[in-house]
This record gives sequence, C-alpha cells and structure tokens, in this order.
Amino acid sequence: MIDHVNGVVFAVFIFLFLLVTVLGFAAARWRRADLDSLDEWGLGGRGFGTFIAWFLIGGDIYTAYTFIAVPATLYAGSAVGFFAVPYTIVVYPLIFLFLPRLWSVSHRHGYVTPADFVQGRYDSRGLALVIALTGILATMPYIALQLVGMEVVLQVMGIGTTSDTWFVQHLPLFIAFGVLAAYTYSSGLRAPALIAFVKDALIYLVILVAVFYIPSQIGGWDHIFSTVTDGFADFNATNADAIAAGDAAPKAVMPPQPLQWAYASLALGSALALFMYPHSVTGVLSTRSRSVIRRNAALLPAYSFLLGLLALLGFVAIAAGVKVDNPQQSVPQLFEDQFSPWFAGVAFAAIVIGALVPAAIMSIAAANLWTRNIYKAFINRSATHKQEATQAKLVSLLVKFGALVFVLALSKDFAINLQLLGGVWILQTLPAIVIGLYTRWMHRWALFAGWAVGMAYGTWLAYGVKSPVQDHFGGPLVNFPGTETKVYIAVVAILANLLVAVVLTFVLRALKVDEGVDQTRPQDYHADAGDPGVEEELSPDVPAHA
Amino acid sequence: MSDVPARTGPPSASRWALIYVLLTPAVILPLWVGLYDRVDPTFVGFPFYFWFQFALILVAVALTLPAYLLAQVADRRDRVRHGLPPVPDGTGSDRKAGDER
Repeated sequence: MIDHVNGVVFAVFIFLFLLVTVLGFAAARWRRADLDSLDEWGLGGRGFGTFIAWFLIGGDIYTAYTFIAVPATLYAGSAVGFFAVPYTIVVYPLIFLFLPRLWSVSHRHGYVTPADFVQGRYDSRGLALVIALTGILATMPYIALQLVGMEVVLQVMGIGTTSDTWFVQHLPLFIAFGVLAAYTYSSGLRAPALIAFVKDALIYLVILVAVFYIPSQIGGWDHIFSTVTDGFADFNATNADAIAAGDAAPKAVMPPQPLQWAYASLALGSALALFMYPHSVTGVLSTRSRSVIRRNAALLPAYSFLLGLLALLGFVAIAAGVKVDNPQQSVPQLFEDQFSPWFAGVAFAAIVIGALVPAAIMSIAAANLWTRNIYKAFINRSATHKQEATQAKLVSLLVKFGALVFVLALSKDFAINLQLLGGVWILQTLPAIVIGLYTRWMHRWALFAGWAVGMAYGTWLAYGVKSPVQDHFGGPLVNFPGTETKVYIAVVAILANLLVAVVLTFVLRALKVDEGVDQTRPQDYHADAGDPGVEEELSPDVPAHA
Repeated sequence: MSDVPARTGPPSASRWALIYVLLTPAVILPLWVGLYDRVDPTFVGFPFYFWFQFALILVAVALTLPAYLLAQVADRRDRVRHGLPPVPDGTGSDRKAGDER
C-alpha cells in the first residue's frame, strides 16, 4: 500500500508533523491549565491579544479550503473559482462592524456561544436550540473539507492509492481523521492556538516560495495566463458538443457575463456565513478586548493576498503540465513536481497542519454548543464540571465522525461544495444573531419560522442540484427564482428566511404575542474589558446571567 | 444603529456615518463584478480581472485603518451616551462583580 513513496518527502513530512503533534500535546501543559474543566478545554482559558488572535482567527479562515479546494476550482476551469478573494475582502468590514458588539454583550453576560446570545436576547429556548443545532450541523461539512484536504496530500505522497480494498483506499482519510481526533481530545483549544504559529510560519514559507519560484520556473505569469486561456479554449472547442448537451461545463479563466451574479453572491454569501460559524465566534470571543477584533479586521487581509496567490496555483499547475484526475490533487502534485523532495515534504506538512488546526477549532466550537445549549439546557441541568468536559470531548469526536460521513457520502471531487453547503445552513442563523445585535424588533417566533423556511428551502434547492458525478447536492448554484440568473443557494434561502421573519414579525406584533424578556441592555453592546460586569475570560462552566 | 437615539448625537453619529462611508467601497467594489470582469489592461502578466482584485485588498486595508481610528473615538462617545465611563475604569476585572449582577 506504500509503493512509490519518496523517502525524503516522507521523512521531512513526518518529522514536521511529529514536531507539531508534540507541540499539540505540550499545549495541554501550557500555563498548567486544568483541562478537566470545560473552561480551560473549550476557550483556551485566557484572553488572547492581537497577535495570538491574528494567528488563531487566521487559522479559522485560511484552511484546506485555501490550499486545496479553491485552487482545484481554478485548475478545473470553473469560471467562478476566484470568488474566494472578494469573499475574504468583503468579510473584514463585516467583522469590523458586527463582532465588537457581539464581543461586548457576550462578555457582559457570560455568553460563550451564539446560541447563548440568542437565548438571552430573545428569551426563547427553542430558538437557541435550533441555532445550536444549525451550528453543529453546518460545521460538519466544513470539517469534511479539511479531511479531504489532508487526504489528497497523503494520496499524492503515494499512501493508499494503489490498492483495491475499500479500507486501504480510504486509509489516508482515516489517518487524517485519527490524528485530528487524538490531539483535540487531549488538549482542547490550546493545541490549535500554539500550533497556529508553526502552521503560519510554514505556510508563509511555502507560499512565498511557491508563488515566486514556481511561476519563474514555468515562464512567468504572462505565459501561465496565456497557456491557461488557450488550454481552456481548446477544451471548449473539442468538447463543444458535450457542452451544448450539458454533459460538460465550459471552462473559463474569469466569469462570463451571465455568471457575474453567481460570483458576487458566492462571495457575499460566504462572507456573511463565515462569522456565523461557531468556530469563528469562539475565536473572536477568546480575544482580550473588543479593540483586538477591529485591529484584526485591518491586519487579517494580509492573508487574503496569500489566498489569491494560492488560488492561482491552480492555473500554475495547468501551465506546468500537471495532469491529475482529481483536481484537488493539482497543488500537491505541482509541489511534488517542482520542489526538491525535502521542500515538498515541508509543503505537504504545511498543508496538512493547515487543515488540522481549523478542523480542531471547529470541532471544539461545535462541542461547546452541544454542552452548553443542548446538554446543559435540556438534558442534564445540574451537570458537574467534569461531566460537561467529558460531554464536550465526546461530542468533538462525534462531530468529526459526522464530517467523515459527509466525506464518504457526498462526492469529494470538489470539497468546496461541502463548505458551501454548510454555508447555506449556517447563514440561516444570521437574522437572529446579527439583526439581534442591533435591534430587538424581530419577534422570536418570526425568527424561528424564518429559520425553518430558510433551512428547508435551502436544503431542498441544494438537493435538487445535479452535477456530472452525482444527482443531488451537486453544486452551490441555482437559478434565482423567476430568472435564468445563477446565484448561490444560501443567498436565495436567506432572502426567503428574512421575508418570512419580517412578515411574521408584523403579524405577531399586531396580535401582541408574548415576545419574552430581553436580558440585555443597550449599554451592554458597548462594554469593554475593565467595565463592571465584563468577564475577562468567558467560561463555559459559568451559566450565562442576566 | 437602532439603539443610538437621534437626539444625542451628531458627534458620534457623524463619525459612524463616516465609518460606513469608508467601509462601503470595501464591500461594494468586490461584489460589482461587471466593473472588473475583463482582461485589459494587464499588469505584469496578470489580466485586469486578477490584479484589480488584488488591488482591492490593499484598498480595503487602506480604508479600514482610518475607520479603526474613527471607531475608537466613536466608541468612547457611544459609551458615555450609554452611561459608561469613556474608557473602562478597571472595576470589572473582578469576576465576582459580574456574577452578582
């Protein structure tokens, strides 16, 4: 099963990987935390300053999505693949505006999860429950994308690809899963926080070498873009019949006019969805003060530049003559072809660690949601700290199993579709969270109904999308109702969600249906570290208070 | 912002308006695909479509920095209006104070 593995590549990869794993376990001892309590395990225990937060939040955003999924779409000639760049530009002004308010109200009231905030703001256990469930569900396909990212790297290294048996074929996936599970289970959020430094150092090194060295070897960007343009034109000419029949998608370097809305809506939908994910919220809430968030909104775009250059490696791979059946292998294969073996090992380690860190953060955040908003709210109200920590650790494992199911059940040819499916779901929590940060006008049951409609409609639309490889969940785009213009499903579903929520709010207010008691005061949305009642550390142990 | 009463505030409200004016292009320009969806003019080999989006990253940073400075001041005024001291007075560092509320 390990036939054509290059010894040097493998040795360097394993060395760096073990180094990181040791760091991960050592993190458990950092500041001698008591990991049996959920506080320490789930949020890192201490406030992170600008610097650590920059790495940690960067680790959330720049993942296997960036190194594997996005370049794969460009390699495959998907005209809208570069949407990840406008997505990561648009997201920062949104972070700048919304998240400081969430930080303040959460630290004032001891909210640890988005569902805590919804519960406090709208006085509705039902609404908080569905927000928590949505967070857990939507996180799974996002973790699945990370698993696929690790898998393709292991495949390109030659592990597990040459066998016929089901288990050995999927061995790279199971290895990735096992490593991820083992180290999150033992050190919680500390592991990804510490490893993020190693990860980012490695990734900067690899990216800088990749985007300057490889294009110069291949003949410069001019040559790369013209090779790709000609190649796509050839493909479209040769496959004109199949394209006309709808059996193949035309390839393009940039979106043709009819796909401009698809491009913009994928960018906007992804940006709005990003900071609804429980892991983004965990990262943001673990910062020391609200200004740390704003400072980061100005600093994080440094990563967007790298993301854009990495995306273009999909084109570089084409110009370099990389031929792979699975487009997601294009970047690892490019590295193996172009780099000396030892540096290929470094690059592979960087990609795998870059998938491992966010996957760990995501599963921890989902576990926090379970423990606080479902287990403690509905199942065992008098749970001890030890019981809570045990629950969180078990659920972080279960979430990873859920991710594994997504990988095995859906096509992984374009793992980005997994993440975009998660985006459809998580975006449906936006009205309750973001609008709730500004106004209490929305009625809690109207928000609930809007959520239900958005989830059902979005899932149904996604189910109906066919692709050449599967009949359902085949892609992120549908025609906007009543038009022939393709847009991201999440945007259609959130519009339906908002429409229902607004109309029902008018109705419920007219009927004077009980709207519950708001625990928060306008002042709470402006509080900062050092104010009375502001918790410096958020602790999942301490229940949210009025 | 719904909880900003109109009567209180030209100072903070106008600062927030300015912040929105600064940040709006950072959201609108990247989504206005028709603006940059073309090949020419190229720049060091990059079609316009690509280099313009890279340039937008720099534009977004350039807009966010002044917005950050403005928000620091606007935040202080918002705090005063909501009955908080302009900067935290440090009485909240004791967690017990939070638990009693």
